[in-house]
Amino acid sequence: MLSIRNLHAQIGDRKILKGLDLEIHAGEVHAIMGPNGSGKSTLASVLAGRAGVDVTEGRVEYLGQDLLAMEPEDRARAGVFLAFQYPVEIPGVNNAYLLKAALNAVRKQRGLSELDAFEFLALVRDKMKLMQMDESFLNRGVNEGFSGGEKKRNEILQMAMLEPKLAVLDETDSGLDIDALRVVANGVNSLRGPERSIVLVTHYQRLLDYIEPDFVHVLSGGRILKTGDKSLALELEKRGYDWVQQEARVA
Amino acid sequence: MSAAPAELLGHYRAAFEAMRAGHEASAAQRAAAFDRFATLGFPAARDEGWKYTSLRRLESRRFPVGAGASDVTLPASLAAHRLVIVDGQLRSDLASPGALPAGVRVRSLGQAHADGESLAALLRVTQGGGTERFAALNAALCPDVVLLDIAAHTVAEPLEVLVATSAGEPGMSHPRLVIRAAAGSTSRIIVRHLGDDAERLVNAVVDVEVGPDAAVHLYRMLDSGARTFHIERLEATVAQRGLFVAHDAQLGAGLARLDLHARLAAPQAAAELTGLFLADGTRHLDTHVHVDHLAVATRSLQDYRGIAAGRGRAVFNGKAVVHVGAQQSQARQTSRNLLLTPGAEIDTKPELEIYADDVQCSHGATTGQLDPAALFYLRSRGLTEMEARNALTRAFTGAVVSRMDHAPFAQRVRDALDARLAALLETWS
Repeated sequence: MLSIRNLHAQIGDRKILKGLDLEIHAGEVHAIMGPNGSGKSTLASVLAGRAGVDVTEGRVEYLGQDLLAMEPEDRARAGVFLAFQYPVEIPGVNNAYLLKAALNAVRKQRGLSELDAFEFLALVRDKMKLMQMDESFLNRGVNEGFSGGEKKRNEILQMAMLEPKLAVLDETDSGLDIDALRVVANGVNSLRGPERSIVLVTHYQRLLDYIEPDFVHVLSGGRILKTGDKSLALELEKRGYDWVQQEARVA
Repeated sequence: MSAAPAELLGHYRAAFEAMRAGHEASAAQRAAAFDRFATLGFPAARDEGWKYTSLRRLESRRFPVGAGASDVTLPASLAAHRLVIVDGQLRSDLASPGALPAGVRVRSLGQAHADGESLAALLRVTQGGGTERFAALNAALCPDVVLLDIAAHTVAEPLEVLVATSAGEPGMSHPRLVIRAAAGSTSRIIVRHLGDDAERLVNAVVDVEVGPDAAVHLYRMLDSGARTFHIERLEATVAQRGLFVAHDAQLGAGLARLDLHARLAAPQAAAELTGLFLADGTRHLDTHVHVDHLAVATRSLQDYRGIAAGRGRAVFNGKAVVHVGAQQSQARQTSRNLLLTPGAEIDTKPELEIYADDVQCSHGATTGQLDPAALFYLRSRGLTEMEARNALTRAFTGAVVSRMDHAPFAQRVRDALDARLAALLETWS
């Protein structure tokens, strides 16, 4: 599904990713954990194609394609989805409009016909129920005036509508209370399947209580220092990140 | 002020002399108005209100006076009732078959004069502001005055006044429209300026009197060809507890200058002046909005959104003056501007002058580009860059368009914006 090799990326003059390798297969859930400033969000940005992050070395292959050569919208249409750490408020652009435009763009790519108004509404109602969101959110500006938790739910709502092949969730758990976390995790879990890979970028182990990962990676200093199963996350919670860094230095 | 060169002035004087026959009754008012124009001349950059708008191109042209006789192509009507003015003359043959809305009366200058109306009032030239000279030229050269009266205490159905020019031929026209809303009336009037691609000068004056407890909702659209010079002075004087609402869509003309001026002359008078402008291509659109608070407890709102693209240029000047004694007044101003391409330019200047101490005033102006974070967000959901830009640009004008509470007018504005933005976006792809 996704193969990252020797990825180097920088923002301005600041080198952030320094030779990152990661292999993700269909159906797997990977958690990427690490201290602040380790490069977690930069990795998510590189995958989604955000301007301002320069890849200086390395390759990213997505379903056999050169992901880095693709425009952000082409990545989205090909099934890559980034749930933003800080979803942008866009007053005046209707939430329903965005959902519909995004969904039809993805469907077109998959060779499916556009949904008509009724089909769209039926689908979005269903997904909103899953995310415990009121239908009034449809007629509001994208994320406009949403609380932190509402914004994160809206991200997962979009994800549920678009059914991506590769979903990258950038600190989706940050700023969520326990109830919202459960709703968000429930939404994500409903999308788990053999065809879909999920990357959870997170600072805390908390989210992993609800979304059980197949692999846990420790990202520090721009590289993956250690990979394990979910027990690694628990260990990190208990011991912090220092020991991983020390272990890496010794090795 | 700059006196116009003798030859240029001579051209307008000849047009004025040609007007005299058939307008004997108003000769004195017209002669005084022409003298005023001759004294003030065309504006120079150093004249107040003309810093960013040069009329040199206009000065180089010698437009004949339009005849008002040729064919015009009329677009679909935006209201059940429509009046049509061509080259400044009311064309009853082109009016909608339905009568005017109940409670609304229309007269020409001649009829109004015969009824004992004051010519001095109908042809008055108010002083001050950058377009006084053109208002004077209009008073001297207007072939007619279209006088609309809204009877006291009526709620009139919407009326469209289409202000057009005869097709194909270069020329100049000086339409003049006077709207008088009597006490307690409510009216909704669409004033749509249209023109084709011929080169011409349209020098319009719209004079609105809002009586006590009356409300006038004016929906103004300028949608003429890229070779039109359009100059307009739109003034409203609002009486006690009266309300003047202007919804303005300044979409085009090659060079346009609008002076929109509200005088809140009596206690509790109010004005809401909102609008948008779109300067794409090589259009130059200049909007000056001015509110005078002359009495206690008057209230004004100015909210304009502007877009410039290509080599387009826009000027927005919003001013509110709270005069001595106009206590407990409120003046709010917002000017937000969007530059879609690097070569475009918008000069915006909000101004507040306050000569009273117990008032609430605010103003703000911003000029920027589409938010890159929002663009990326939309693209990351699968929208093309073009679709994302289009959505954000529509959102920008949406706040003003959604306030246009006459559905066919608002839809026409949306359609015009969409068509123009689509053309713009194509050039970026």
